[in-house]
Amino acid sequence: MPAVELDVYLFVAAVLFVCGAVCMATKRNAIGVLMGVELVLNGANLNFVAFARYTALGLDGQVIALFVIVLAAAEAAVALAIALSFYNNHLTIDVDRGNELHG
Amino acid sequence: MDLETYQSTLARLLTTAWLLPLCGFVIEIFAGWWSNRRSKAAAYLAVFCIATGFVCSLTALLYWGEKTEWAAFAGHAAGHGEAGAEHAAGAHDGAHANAAHHAAAGAAAHATPAYPLAVSGTHYVLVQFGRLRVAIDYYIDSLTLAMFTMVTLIASLIHVFAIGYMGDELTDDHEDHEVHTSHGHLHRPGRYYRFFAYLSLFSFSMLGLVLAGNVFLVFVFWELVGICSYFLIGFYTERRSACLAANKAFIMNRVGDFGFLIGLMILWTWFGTFQFAERTEDGQTTPGLFQMLRTPEGEILRLNTQSGQRVVLVDSHGDPLLDPTTREPKTVPYLLLVAAGMGIFAGCIGKSAQFPLQTWLPDAMEGPTPVSALVHSATMVAAGVYLTGRFYPMFMPEVLLAIAYVGCITLFLAATIAVVATDIKRVLAYSTISQLGYMMLGLGVGAWGAGLFHLITHAFFKSLMFLCSGAVIYGCHHVQEMPRMGGLRRKMPITAYTMLVGVIAICGLAIPWPTVFGEKIAFSGYHSKDAIVAAALTFAQLNPKHILLFLLPLVGAGITAFYMFRLWFYTFAGTPRDEHVYEHAHEAPAVMWIPLVVLSLFAAFCAVGGEEGPLFKLLLNSEPAGVAAGRESAVPGGISIPGHAAVAANHVAAGVDALIVAGLGAFLAYVFYGVRWLNPAEVKNQFAGLHRFLIEKWRFDELYDVMFTRPVHIIARWCTWIDRTVFDGLLHAAARLALDVARWDRKFDEGVVDGLVNKVGDLTFATGRSFRVIQTGRLRQYVMFIVVGVIVIGVAGILFVTQLRAG
Amino acid sequence: MSDNALLSLIIFLPTIGALGLMCFNAKAEEAMRNFALVITAATFVLTLLLLGRFDPAQAGVQLKVLAEWIPNWNVNYFLGVDGISLPLVLLTSLISLLGMLASWSVKKQIRGYLILYLLLETGMLGVFLALDFFLFYVFWEVMLLPMYFLIGIWGGPRREYAAIKFFLYTLAGSVLMLIALLMFYFGSGADRTFDLIRLAEIGQGRVPGVQFSEFVQITAFILLFIGFAIKVPVFPFHTWLPDAHVEAPTPISMILAGVLLKMGGYGILRVAFPICPVGAQYAAYCLVLLGVISILYGAFAAMAQTDFKRLVAYSSVSHMGYVLLGIAVWKLADPNLGTTAGAEYWESGINAAMFQMLAHGISSAGMFFMVGVIYDRVHHRDLNQFGGLMGLMPEYGGLAVGIFFAGLGLPGLCGFIGEVFSVLSAWNYSPLLAILSAAGVILTAGYILWAVQRVYLGPEYKGPHREDITPMNGREASVGYVLLAFAIILGVYPESMFGLMRETNKQLVVNMTEGYENSKKNAPKVSAVTPDLGEGVLFDPIAIPANPGAGALAPAIRGR
Repeated sequence: MPAVELDVYLFVAAVLFVCGAVCMATKRNAIGVLMGVELVLNGANLNFVAFARYTALGLDGQVIALFVIVLAAAEAAVALAIALSFYNNHLTIDVDRGNELHG
Repeated sequence: MDLETYQSTLARLLTTAWLLPLCGFVIEIFAGWWSNRRSKAAAYLAVFCIATGFVCSLTALLYWGEKTEWAAFAGHAAGHGEAGAEHAAGAHDGAHANAAHHAAAGAAAHATPAYPLAVSGTHYVLVQFGRLRVAIDYYIDSLTLAMFTMVTLIASLIHVFAIGYMGDELTDDHEDHEVHTSHGHLHRPGRYYRFFAYLSLFSFSMLGLVLAGNVFLVFVFWELVGICSYFLIGFYTERRSACLAANKAFIMNRVGDFGFLIGLMILWTWFGTFQFAERTEDGQTTPGLFQMLRTPEGEILRLNTQSGQRVVLVDSHGDPLLDPTTREPKTVPYLLLVAAGMGIFAGCIGKSAQFPLQTWLPDAMEGPTPVSALVHSATMVAAGVYLTGRFYPMFMPEVLLAIAYVGCITLFLAATIAVVATDIKRVLAYSTISQLGYMMLGLGVGAWGAGLFHLITHAFFKSLMFLCSGAVIYGCHHVQEMPRMGGLRRKMPITAYTMLVGVIAICGLAIPWPTVFGEKIAFSGYHSKDAIVAAALTFAQLNPKHILLFLLPLVGAGITAFYMFRLWFYTFAGTPRDEHVYEHAHEAPAVMWIPLVVLSLFAAFCAVGGEEGPLFKLLLNSEPAGVAAGRESAVPGGISIPGHAAVAANHVAAGVDALIVAGLGAFLAYVFYGVRWLNPAEVKNQFAGLHRFLIEKWRFDELYDVMFTRPVHIIARWCTWIDRTVFDGLLHAAARLALDVARWDRKFDEGVVDGLVNKVGDLTFATGRSFRVIQTGRLRQYVMFIVVGVIVIGVAGILFVTQLRAG
Repeated sequence: MSDNALLSLIIFLPTIGALGLMCFNAKAEEAMRNFALVITAATFVLTLLLLGRFDPAQAGVQLKVLAEWIPNWNVNYFLGVDGISLPLVLLTSLISLLGMLASWSVKKQIRGYLILYLLLETGMLGVFLALDFFLFYVFWEVMLLPMYFLIGIWGGPRREYAAIKFFLYTLAGSVLMLIALLMFYFGSGADRTFDLIRLAEIGQGRVPGVQFSEFVQITAFILLFIGFAIKVPVFPFHTWLPDAHVEAPTPISMILAGVLLKMGGYGILRVAFPICPVGAQYAAYCLVLLGVISILYGAFAAMAQTDFKRLVAYSSVSHMGYVLLGIAVWKLADPNLGTTAGAEYWESGINAAMFQMLAHGISSAGMFFMVGVIYDRVHHRDLNQFGGLMGLMPEYGGLAVGIFFAGLGLPGLCGFIGEVFSVLSAWNYSPLLAILSAAGVILTAGYILWAVQRVYLGPEYKGPHREDITPMNGREASVGYVLLAFAIILGVYPESMFGLMRETNKQLVVNMTEGYENSKKNAPKVSAVTPDLGEGVLFDPIAIPANPGAGALAPAIRGR
């Protein structure tokens, strides 16, 4: 069977990445943004795994992917806590309503 | 007895007379410690000192006469003028006069070779630089002796007079009615002893002046008599007028001394000595000033060079002096000699209150009357005349002419002011100035003997008149204005008639025709003034251009008679003008009138015999060589100076002229003030402008105020202004500049150096600020930036890598 | 006591006294004053001993003291006296003693005052006794600082201004002197020296192979002259004087006028003249002119003052003008050869100038003291508010009038001899300037008599504090009597001082004349020395030890 080429993985990963990025940029809902982040992270994970399979990277890529998953979980926990706190303060989770980071 | 003893005896006697008053002064000035203010001890001490001085002087004179075998009187009977001895008249002997000695040359050639008529020596050396030397020298000749005797005699009498006159100072609480303070009249302790201390100091200075053997020493004592005069004029220090008068006297004298100093500089530089007489030391003889300038015959050796006329200096034999290095004869420019003479004479002008420095003397009458008598009529003011006489060989004909004119102007000017003065002492003061003018005139026209003759006679009669006026003032309780007097002869007869003696003497009145013992009946002034007028007449005949030199003194003689008799009639004759003054007037006590009587005797008889009398002969003995012969001018139109013979020829004519004029003046005074036929007030109104001009003393005070006093003060203020604004201004400007530099430095530090650092900080900050814009706080935007950034970086990285690969 | 110890002790006894004052309890003011008085009196006695050992017949420097100080630079502790310095040393110790007697009027911070006073005395005596230019310079500066504080702390209302003005003026002079000092040092040939006698010999061309060029002499002379002229003070440089005098306390004014001003004249005679004969001759006319201007200008300015002390201060300017006049009347018969015309007149001028310095030291110190006495009582100095003091304080009035007349130049008192002989010697130099200077006698009489009239004469005292006018106490009277006595002694017997200085001054005239002639003779050869003054050497300190023999030469104070 013709082997699935690396390009395909990279393409899918790129689509995921772009989708995630677009999601982050366009969603006003904080949860949506988080979801976009997950997409981006998973796009990157796919790349790691793919490169681990097709190059001499070996296990390293998969290990990093695992790290990323753990990181994503932690990040999601923190992010959700921030969102909750945001909601407590603003009674909304529309990120455009919060500009405390404004310089 | 040898020469040395002779010399030292004379020197010791006169030095004792000279130094005693100084010792007296030192003791008297501290009388506040050893005596009290009610004691006359200081006065007695002062009288003792000066009287002992008189005895010494008289002894010296007699000793000198005896040792020189009375050569000065040329074989006449022994006796001397001051004693008023009867004297056999002898014919005037021209040949004798011709042989009279050059003052400084000593008497080498004449009849008395053993004992010279003039001696000189040194007490101690003041300073010496190489050949230049100034010492305390003495010089004794007949002039010195005559002056010494006259000064000590008059001073003794005035001291005695002052014992009485200054009596109101003998108190612990003296009230000065002329000084008003915030608590009424001024009360102060009496200053009796101080007055006598000053008088003693003055006597010392005056005698030192006469004894001085070099002109520098004369200058020293010149200043000292000046300062004594200052103290005595300002004796009533509380009176402002007295202080001002004292200052004026001293400063105007200093103006004259400025000239004196210039004269000294010229002599010091060109002659290298100040000595009158030659000096022998270690076998080497240094000629004195007069020997250097004149040959033993009294001639000067002129030399015409390209740089103008010069005078060759000679030694005592008349041979030219050679410069030690160049072996050329030493010469002095003639003009410088004239300048030196003028300079020295300027000093005499100041001291003798001659025109144009005459204004201080009337003001000096602020001093107590004995001071006016001693200092400001008889001795100090006559010192100018004395020096002119002493320095006679140094004066070139041009200077003599100047002296004559100064004297002539002065005598006329002062006489006119005296006519309108009403203060009794001021009339006498102007009269003094006028008489001093006569003396100067006499010296200027070549009558050396007559000028000094008048000096002596004037000293007697003027001090007499001053003392009389003092007695009047004392008797009238310090009233000095003549319009408040009158008829006083009934209250104070002794004063009045002794005064009359003085008045007649000064006016030169005489009864020429009936003679007593072959003598005219005349008081001293007649003889001396006559001699001067005769010389002036002769001079005017020889030099017709200068006829004024005869006319003014002649007119002056008339004016003198007028104002002197005016004074006498005003004061003593007629009816009292102020009853109050008259009521309280009284005759002076014996201690005051006895000196008056003694002085009146001298005023009357000291010149007995006139120009054949002993006093004149005594003086003539010191006459510089060449004066007796006179000098014909070498150049037509130049100045000729008459000799004795020429003057003698004119004597009778001049005497008659002067007598007539004086008689007229006296008669006029009698008409106005004696019998009061004419009213002087009408004349005064007739000539109101002239009267005013005379009352204002020819406006000299105003003139000097405008010409000198004010400019000096203005310059003084300028100097301070320059100091304050220019020099201090420059300094302050420099200080400000330094401060400014410091300020710029600060600006540079703060602006440039610090600014640069701050700029960098500011720039960083501003850059940061500008990035603020993109920190919108919108998360989605941030994400966009991240994405775009990643893409851009990615693309750029890829492009870079490919470029690299390709490159 | 050896000569060595005597001279050093004279200089440093006051310093020892200053150290001794440290041991006193700060409250024992009277004891400290008495102690300081004893020290100054002892110094005076020592200077009298010095006078006893001095041989006036000898012209050169006597009683020399020589020790190495900084051998690397050939700086020596070199002292000695001659006829020029000895009278001034006597004057200094006398005025210091009298000033100390007058110091009872100083009330605050006694200890500091006395210490500075004694240090000042050390500085002054050191200046007059030092024969090494470097040492001279050091003492010159040592004296400056105490003076600054004495005026700045114990002075009147404007004391800071006056003190700074005094300090800056004097410092400016010192800087110029320092430049000249370096010029001499580096121009003095291979074996460089600060020795004033040696430098004078070089300047006079008496040392074979080395001589200061005309240019160096003239430049150095001008520098030195300005430095000393500030101290004298001479006309354009005099404005520090009135301020310093007016603000200084009485004893300090006495010292300022009595001693400090003399340092200027002394410096000219000791340093500027002998080392730079050509410079001296070059500037002679200017010096005489400045002297005459000072005489007249000072007198005029004095006349316009209303402050008593300021009047006396300006009179100092006027009187010190005679000093400069007398010093500088050096006339040449032939400028190319340098024959002195009328050397005796110049000699008399120098003698008169020296005498005038001494006389002015006595009379001006006395005048300032007299002003101080009345100021202590009534606390003002306005001439228009005095009057009648003669009646209120007869003894004071008499003494004051005597001393003022000494200033006026009355014969028989000290002021006369100096004034009249410097004026007399001036005609030989320039008749015009002589006449102008003689005019000073009128102005002097004017302002002094006017002041005497306004202060002492008149009916009554017009100013404030009438009730405080009390007679002089014994201490004040003794100062007055001593000063007046000296004024009379110097006036009546001037030979007492002329005798000390005559030979030295005569030698000075001879040396200067020869020096000028030598300079003119050697003129072409002189340029050989000039390169030695190049910048590289002048400002490169390393070059000094490298110079052959410099360090080792200290013992060789050549041939004297």
